[in-house]
Amino acid sequence: MTAIETHDLTKYYGDLCAVDHLSLSVDNEIFALLGPNGSGKTTTVLMLTTLLRPTEGTATVCGYDCATEGDMVRKKLSYVPQDMAVDIRLTGRENVVFFAKLYGVADPRAQADEALAIMELADRADDLVKTYSGGMRRRLELAQALVHEPAVLFLDEPTLGLDVAARKKIWEHIRKLRSRGMTVFVTTHYMDEADRFCDRVAIISRGSIMAIGKPKTLKAQLMKDVITATISGEFIPFELGSIRFLGRKEDDVSFTAENGREALPLIAEALVARGMKVHSLSLHEPTLDDVFLNVVGSSDEPRSFNDQQFRVMLRRRK
Amino acid sequence: MKGIWHYMERDLVKWARGRVAVITLLVMPAAWLIFVGLALPVRFTGNYLDFITPGILVMTMLASSLQGGSLLMFDKILGFLNKFLALPSPRENILFGKILFITIRGVIQATVILLIAILIGATILSPLQYGMIYVILILFGILFSGLATTLALYIDDHDSYAAVNTLISMPLFFMSSALMPYSVMPSWMRSIAMVNPLSFAIDAIRSVGLGEVPLMQMGLLFVTGGLVLIVCVQVFRNMTV
Ligand SMILES: Nc1ncnc2c1ncn2[C@@H]1O[C@H](COP(=O)(O)OP(=O)(O)O)[C@@H](O)[C@H]1O
Ligand SMILES: [Mg+2]
Repeated sequence: MTAIETHDLTKYYGDLCAVDHLSLSVDNEIFALLGPNGSGKTTTVLMLTTLLRPTEGTATVCGYDCATEGDMVRKKLSYVPQDMAVDIRLTGRENVVFFAKLYGVADPRAQADEALAIMELADRADDLVKTYSGGMRRRLELAQALVHEPAVLFLDEPTLGLDVAARKKIWEHIRKLRSRGMTVFVTTHYMDEADRFCDRVAIISRGSIMAIGKPKTLKAQLMKDVITATISGEFIPFELGSIRFLGRKEDDVSFTAENGREALPLIAEALVARGMKVHSLSLHEPTLDDVFLNVVGSSDEPRSFNDQQFRVMLRRRK
Repeated sequence: MKGIWHYMERDLVKWARGRVAVITLLVMPAAWLIFVGLALPVRFTGNYLDFITPGILVMTMLASSLQGGSLLMFDKILGFLNKFLALPSPRENILFGKILFITIRGVIQATVILLIAILIGATILSPLQYGMIYVILILFGILFSGLATTLALYIDDHDSYAAVNTLISMPLFFMSSALMPYSVMPSWMRSIAMVNPLSFAIDAIRSVGLGEVPLMQMGLLFVTGGLVLIVCVQVFRNMTV
């Protein structure tokens, strides 16, 4: 049975369409919903965890309907929300035992001890959470979530606000859970993390999925190299032979080409010929950022009407 | 059912560890009891302490219950509520756990007030009478903690909550039979005080002190408490689907 399935899952907040006909199938993997702030990630997770009723469409978790079989769905999942919520006046162990009891596990204390050990919190388990660092609190939330060995784990931006080392550690733990057989549905706006640690990603923008697949496959849709130029001046998108324009992020414009070294001078010349000033050029292998740029057109948040028009124009060109 | 207990346990442990909160919630009623009961020059009855103790007991429950609603509000604002709602434990347990904790806490505080009252000269009653007083206080606590948690579902910030809290508790307390008998009230005040649920509880405790069994008032508290719980669960269900 598929862990998570959605068909045309849609949520309107008044007139605003936060999630737009999302259809997904996730099973036995670390699946990342990747997108900038406000793209609809949290809204999607809330619908899947039975905390929000969809306007339209259906979602199932382990075969149970999220809208009509909420009780069964909640038995199968664990949910760690975007904003950390652990009781700082309780100890780490108390926090986890409390959840173990609410999940109704057979031996709350033993299960809690195991979960704390997996999250490497055993030696600090009896300290008040007040004394924990941000990364430890996140791990404590993971311990709470895995104490009943859920089939599906929902993590909403698990690395938000953590430093680099703590993030890496969280991801290592998520991989560990995956290897224990859990399906992990995670949201993030960090492209590099999704790239490194997730089996499959869906790029979401304004509530719609723009691309979905293994990071490697997605990157392979671009050509071998990506060239990014930092420019000033009026930019009008163009293509040069086999060199393809990818998108623009503030003053950076990106292109993709089979042979980046040869493309560099061509791009520089073309930019200058079109009246722009080129400040720097760089060459790198495709990243998910580039994929995002390619499918969304521009990775900065909409600012002005012109910006919108620019994007519409880009879409038409494709 | 077990879930209710676990939710209650969490709040109880958190409360017991925050000593300042325990003390501040007790100071106001204790001050009232000592200064009003012993020092006020106006006396409506023979033993004013015996007269005023029921009012202070009920006031303690009221303050504790209304303040208790903010617990659910904070759980909501800080994201705990969403975590709890995603758990397999029946969702209403969250609500009943809160009401149970708030009522237990109120009873603990009322007990302290009762001990202080006895210490400074209130008449000692029989165990059966104290039993009845506790039943009345618990019914009253459920009524008002149910009301407060329902309010908390609608309110999203602490200042508004505190304002609403004062807006409810002040008039309720002063427009009740807490401080003076009906016979000395102006008539407009008497008609308000007679239908004030605070007066039901206060009058009931006073009749217990006089050796009566106030079935009428207890029944009223039971019925209003039940109605509030039904509304509370309904509001909660509507808000959390
Ligand atoms: N409760 C709400 N009421 C109205 N609009 C909302 C609400 N929650 C989110 N939104 C809007 O829906 C969109 C998607 O939000 P969200 O799902 O939180 O995005 P993300 O988690 O990707 O940052 C945003 O434009 C946000 O402003
Ligand atoms: Mg979010």
